[in-house]
Amino acid sequence: MEESDSEKKMEKENVGSRMDPPIGEPEGSLGWVLPNTAMKKKVLLMGKSGSGKTSMRSIIFANYIARDTRRLGATILDRLHSLQINSSLSTYSLVDSVGNTKTFDVEHSHVRFLGNLVLNLWDCGGQDTFMENYFTSQRDNIFRNVEVLIYVFDVESRELEKDMHYYQSCLEAILQNSPDAKIFCLVHKMDLVQEDQRDLIFKEREEDLRRLSRPLECSCFRTSIWDETLYKAWSSIVYQLIPNVQQLEMNLRNFAEIIEADEVLLFERATFLVISHYQCKEQRDAHRFEKISNIIKQFKLSCSKLAASFQSMEVRNSNFAAFIDIFTSNTYVMVVMSDPSIPSAATLINIRNARKHFEKLERVDGPKQCLLMR
Amino acid sequence: MEDKKLFSSMADIQNFCLNVLCQVYIPFSRPFYIEPTNIVNVNDVIQRVSDHASAMNKRIHYYSRLTAPADKALIAPDHVVPAPEECYVYSPLGSAYKLQSYTEGYGKNTSLVTIFMIWNTMMGTSILSIPWGIKQAGFTTGMIVIILMGLLTLYCCYRVVKSRAMISSVDTTTWEYPDVCRYYFGSFGQWSSLLFSLVSLIGAMIVYWVLMSNFLFNTGKFIFNFIHHINDTDAVPGTNDSNPVICPSASSSNHPDNGSMIFYANDTGLQQFEKWWNKSKTVPFYLIGLLLPLLNFKSPSFFSKFNILGTVSVLYLIFLVTFKAFHLGFHLEFHWFLPTEFFVPEIRFQFPQLTGVLTLAFFIHNCIITLLKNNKNQENNVRDLSIAYMLVTLTYLYIGVLVFASFPSPPLSKDCIEQNFLDNFPSSDILSFIARIFLLFQMMTVYPLLGYLARVQLLGHIFGDIYPSIFHVLILNLVIVGAGVIMACFYPNIGGIIRYSGAACGLAFVFIYPSLIYMISLYQEERLTWPKFIFHVFIIILGLANLVVQFFM
Repeated sequence: MEESDSEKKMEKENVGSRMDPPIGEPEGSLGWVLPNTAMKKKVLLMGKSGSGKTSMRSIIFANYIARDTRRLGATILDRLHSLQINSSLSTYSLVDSVGNTKTFDVEHSHVRFLGNLVLNLWDCGGQDTFMENYFTSQRDNIFRNVEVLIYVFDVESRELEKDMHYYQSCLEAILQNSPDAKIFCLVHKMDLVQEDQRDLIFKEREEDLRRLSRPLECSCFRTSIWDETLYKAWSSIVYQLIPNVQQLEMNLRNFAEIIEADEVLLFERATFLVISHYQCKEQRDAHRFEKISNIIKQFKLSCSKLAASFQSMEVRNSNFAAFIDIFTSNTYVMVVMSDPSIPSAATLINIRNARKHFEKLERVDGPKQCLLMR
Repeated sequence: MEDKKLFSSMADIQNFCLNVLCQVYIPFSRPFYIEPTNIVNVNDVIQRVSDHASAMNKRIHYYSRLTAPADKALIAPDHVVPAPEECYVYSPLGSAYKLQSYTEGYGKNTSLVTIFMIWNTMMGTSILSIPWGIKQAGFTTGMIVIILMGLLTLYCCYRVVKSRAMISSVDTTTWEYPDVCRYYFGSFGQWSSLLFSLVSLIGAMIVYWVLMSNFLFNTGKFIFNFIHHINDTDAVPGTNDSNPVICPSASSSNHPDNGSMIFYANDTGLQQFEKWWNKSKTVPFYLIGLLLPLLNFKSPSFFSKFNILGTVSVLYLIFLVTFKAFHLGFHLEFHWFLPTEFFVPEIRFQFPQLTGVLTLAFFIHNCIITLLKNNKNQENNVRDLSIAYMLVTLTYLYIGVLVFASFPSPPLSKDCIEQNFLDNFPSSDILSFIARIFLLFQMMTVYPLLGYLARVQLLGHIFGDIYPSIFHVLILNLVIVGAGVIMACFYPNIGGIIRYSGAACGLAFVFIYPSLIYMISLYQEERLTWPKFIFHVFIIILGLANLVVQFFM
């Protein structure tokens, strides 16, 4: 319980005004209605049950998974036993009389992503009639105002036909309701495939998916939570979602040159995915972005257990000084200086001044184009 | 820090001012600080940790924070975690320790080493009784029985090795065969496997005591005779040779005195010696003083260093047998069913005595899993096991056949072959004296190891602690030693002891458990077919028959 409390507090950093999920009068075949979602832009994370979406979300967004995420089979409507609301994650769980639970995300997940995007997680194509019915009845609501669709495929799945079928029905819904949405397909759990076959299998899947997705365009990535591919895929997704990323990079380079930094990174606030970076010389470790992200997210989790929230960090030794600090409303910045003689205060003042400039940069680009706007 | 020396004073003042500013600017908190001596220089050319490994390390740390410990969803699967050889335990102060290779499949032993270890462990003192066993079974029957028993025990050993693979629901990497028995039969399985294991251990220890008394007696006699220049083989029926072969049992049936071979009426010195140095009356007791203290040691790892003595002894025995055979020549005649004055029939009905001996001779089933665990290429386990069994069979056949065939039959009957074939050589025979010394030393070093194993198993299961107190251990050791002494005094027939204990513990570990467990696991997977069922039940019946028949022979 303490965890959910402190998570809420942490979430306050991200959220402007907090909206409680209103549970209106039940309607429709199952008695649920979703509140009006016209305003929010969504990121839909969909895929078959058990394809790894919850783990993926937990890893990327540093959400503590409070229960066993394995879906345990179908629930039948008349065995609905109890309803549990985990409001910190805004998930609804249904527990039937045998103890099987089904969790699903509804609107108002309080995890904000890239500014005003809200992450919604849906099991698509499960076996049970409950989910099928719910899905069909609420389809328009679910697929309206979608900015990004991320569809997760389990590479080990034995029912390729069915997976493609469900994917196609999601695409149809997208075409009807949010035709401008960007589509990303993740072929997940690639670590279970033998190393020498991975490229081959991924290429096959990619071709199939590209073909099926016409006329929509989809970008495919192969991912696994046990290597750097997951982080890279999501970083690429974020990268493609930012319209003015080249300008951002140019400004970052100017910033870095002015303050004589070795490397400057811009992280997205909720996920610590690298939005853009500048480095003035070759760095040895290619995995450093993911490592920093994991370290900070782990630190954030520890902070939240103490009802504290992470704000900034300075690491120093005789060879370097690194600063991680809040930058704009949706980003963090990390500055690495290899000249330790420059006092910290100087760098911090520089960062503070640059902050104002970058916020202006975000606002200048206009509401329609820039996603980093409040 | 040391770099401060490089700063100019101006920089120092600037630094100081800005640091004060920092104190105001940044909320006051004490920074986390590591002593400089503990920081490893990052610019070291030697990269201690690969980037991939450190990224994986961070990933695993982070994921472990995301779920409750019981949740298996984010635990790193085996194919992702690096091999134990590549794992280092890092101390925050900079040093790293390599993990001891612990898990299966990462053993360090090549096939050759594994085969040798299996051969070495199986070669026990039952090798001394094989010629007697062949004599009891008849020459042809003996050879056939040895080969068949080898194949049968090999198959059962194969079943033991494969038994863990049939259990899929539990992690069995640290299991030995008694654990498998416990899994299938519950605590009955555990206790019965413990009991039978103890039977084999204590049987072996009794045999060792008898043999050690024998060898010590002969060694002492040799030394005494050597010093006093006594030649005492005349009274014992043997060949007329500089290095005779004797028939002690024939003489002992003539002379009721058990142990005194000759007596000189006038030589009281010798009589005194004979009185105080008697194979069955005194020497077993002298051994107590030597071995009982050794048994009480907490850890016998010191004795495992002498493992090589066992191999040397066997190799020397092979050499001895070859030499003697060369010297004595072959004496074989084939009479199929009827005994003659000097020869035994080819087919005799006492062949179960040989099977009893062979059950213990081919016994390794209670520790084969541990021996094969360290094999580098686990897929070669079955092949290596078969090769080892083949080598053991060949060794037994070689020694058994050569001793039997070269036993000088015209003057002596084949029936004279003793249960310990070294007894057929007088104590004055130099080559066998050397063999006895080797074997004596080897047994004295293995005896505490066996005692330790018995103690660990018995006390570990009853009291939960392998060394509850000196009194428990002392009582256990006294019981074991006492049994050995009693047997040495009253029933020093090692062939008999070997076949009874072999058939008893072999019944469980060799015949019943492997077959039964295999049948049960097949039945659970619904793959049990009638031929397999009949075959394995037949094996179980063979095992029971083996034990029962020992008491009728």
